[in-house]
Amino acid sequence: MNLRFHWMLPKGGEVAMKTPQETNRVLTTRSTSPAAIPDMEGWVKFARSAEESGIESVLLSFSRYEPDTILIACAVGQATTKLKFIVAYRMGLMQPTTFVQQINTLSGLIGGRVALNVVAGSSTAEQRGYGDFLEHDERYARAEEFLGICHSLWRGDGEVDFEGKYCRIEGGKLNTPFLAPDRNSPEIYISGHSEQAQHLALTRGSSWLRLIDTPEKLAPMVSRFREQGIEVSLRLGIICRPTYEEAVRAGQAMLPDEEISKQERAILSKSDSQTLKQALAAADDLGWMNRNVWAGLVPYYGSSAVTLLGSPQDLAECFLEYKRIGVTQFIISGWPKLDEMLIFGREVLPLVRKAEN
Amino acid sequence: MLPKSGEVAIGVPQTPQQAARYRIESTCRSSPAARPEMDGWVYFAQCAEKAGIDSVLVALNRYEPDPLVVSCALGRATKRLKFIAAYRSGLMQPTTFVQQVNTLSGLIDGRIDLNIVAGSSTLEQHGYGDFLSHDERYARAEEFLAVCNAFWRSNGEVDFTGKYYQVERGMLNTPFLAPDRTAPEIYISGHSEASEQLAYSQGTCWLRVADTPEKLQPVAARMHAHGIRICLRLGLICRPTREEAVKAGKALLPKDGKEDSTRLKDDSQMYKEGKAVANDAHWLSQSLWAGLVPHYGPVWTTLLGTPQELAEAFLAYKQIGVSEFIISGWPEVDEMEIFGREVLPLIRRAEAQVGRY
Repeated sequence: MNLRFHWMLPKGGEVAMKTPQETNRVLTTRSTSPAAIPDMEGWVKFARSAEESGIESVLLSFSRYEPDTILIACAVGQATTKLKFIVAYRMGLMQPTTFVQQINTLSGLIGGRVALNVVAGSSTAEQRGYGDFLEHDERYARAEEFLGICHSLWRGDGEVDFEGKYCRIEGGKLNTPFLAPDRNSPEIYISGHSEQAQHLALTRGSSWLRLIDTPEKLAPMVSRFREQGIEVSLRLGIICRPTYEEAVRAGQAMLPDEEISKQERAILSKSDSQTLKQALAAADDLGWMNRNVWAGLVPYYGSSAVTLLGSPQDLAECFLEYKRIGVTQFIISGWPKLDEMLIFGREVLPLVRKAEN
Repeated sequence: MLPKSGEVAIGVPQTPQQAARYRIESTCRSSPAARPEMDGWVYFAQCAEKAGIDSVLVALNRYEPDPLVVSCALGRATKRLKFIAAYRSGLMQPTTFVQQVNTLSGLIDGRIDLNIVAGSSTLEQHGYGDFLSHDERYARAEEFLAVCNAFWRSNGEVDFTGKYYQVERGMLNTPFLAPDRTAPEIYISGHSEASEQLAYSQGTCWLRVADTPEKLQPVAARMHAHGIRICLRLGLICRPTREEAVKAGKALLPKDGKEDSTRLKDDSQMYKEGKAVANDAHWLSQSLWAGLVPHYGPVWTTLLGTPQELAEAFLAYKQIGVSEFIISGWPEVDEMEIFGREVLPLIRRAEAQVGRY
């Protein structure tokens, strides 16, 4: 099996932004940010480039600062033909039956090109704004029930009855099935670094999605998942330049000014996400996890900014090393949004494919 | 009313009987109504734009695809037509709902309105995880819409503590985006006292099944006093002569006389009234016929006659203060084309005669 490469869909307005500093969390979470407004022109341009670059899917992030992922996937899905959409959604925002009805509808409208990234919820404060008052651990227990119901509806073998602690359904049925050429339910990426997230991935997911770390650190975890038939996908940033030194310089140039840094720290310190805590700890320690994995951007661009950097050859070798330990998929972001993806498709992907085949 | 998926047969002649039969069987799992089918919908939407129709109502139930996602797909494929998406409270958190509706508004130039239904069938609601009784569902819908309206009215954070919903410092960066307004129209449907109250407190328009102008006059006056518009839901049969229209209507009656697609709506005041009315001789006035209601439900209360008679009937409603109509016909496209060609010009001409109406 060839490695599967996905890319992060840029936020609204990001495709047109001139500097990486404009895309940091402080600015994109302001209510005046273009990230709040659907950006079909930028997205369609990006999505078509992704198709041309050999990218399989785009991940759509969910937050109160951005438009709804299911509807964006519907709109952009209609303007594309091959690209898949990994829709991030949190539990506790809607009834499982309604969620499945929306996802199934979407699948029928875009040729089944939809997968899910289920997040239990990363910020207690943000969840409360959505009417969800559970704490971190309980959110996972609910996600377990929620996805259990979703799977029952996707199996489509009669009416669904379920009585749990958080969800209750009686005689649940939907006539609209999940419609795809090759599946009758979406792939489910479960993200999170906590014990609970890993457990949820094993019981309800098709893949565990986590931040990139060094192959040595990841190897034991990856084999544990693979033994149980669950894939492992890594989330990472990428900086590819003709030489390693140029890549490192490009990374340093993305650090924001001091004022933004301070505000960013304040936001991040409030999160109850294990993923973010671990990523920040790595970043504090100078930021270099090995020669190619750098966490220096995490405090400013969020936990998913752990970055793989180097020359095309360096990067291809890194990806193949992850493949050897059992990782099967990657969800990548880069700066500039479009250019970095084009570089990847032109310079890195052919090297990976040549080695694989 | 947007036809169900697969209902529009492009280029294939369809008898009204076939169309009616299609409707009745649409709740079967094997019905094409369960699977989103863009070609027929887009064709219908384009016909609707040509016929001078402002909006289509997109239904929500467990037998069909999700109306918000369908509106998104169809809205991207049209330019002028608006979408009234039906939704029920109790299916998702109000914050999530507003995020979806706002996202949709940004993707389709604000061409989205809402038809909020408290829920018409206890059984169906149980399948969605909702176990409240009829009256409690209205109390919850009240809270649901109060939270939604708070998001649409405020630029800041939303706090709400009710019996059914609690939101703490809720905020969404994505606003409702439309050229001429900052929130969608909210059509509240139902015939019960509770639905009337809900329309006053949280809606912009009350949606109910057609009755005679005489019967509707008092409630129309009440609504007007509260600044709420009235919209009537009806079926339409327009033919060159009244006799032909009546014959076309009678031809829609089921052969065995036993057909009843309304059993599931056990909990709806509208359906209870519909049955009572229909048993009472079926002719509510010279042109308003309830003969189909016992078999297909109250929304099949039908206005029938010649173009001139129908134009006069619509204008009589206008005189008592009704300002909008949501119409169905069988077959959908043919009846809509007749309406656009024969009836609407007569109405517009009469309306243009200043001061007469």
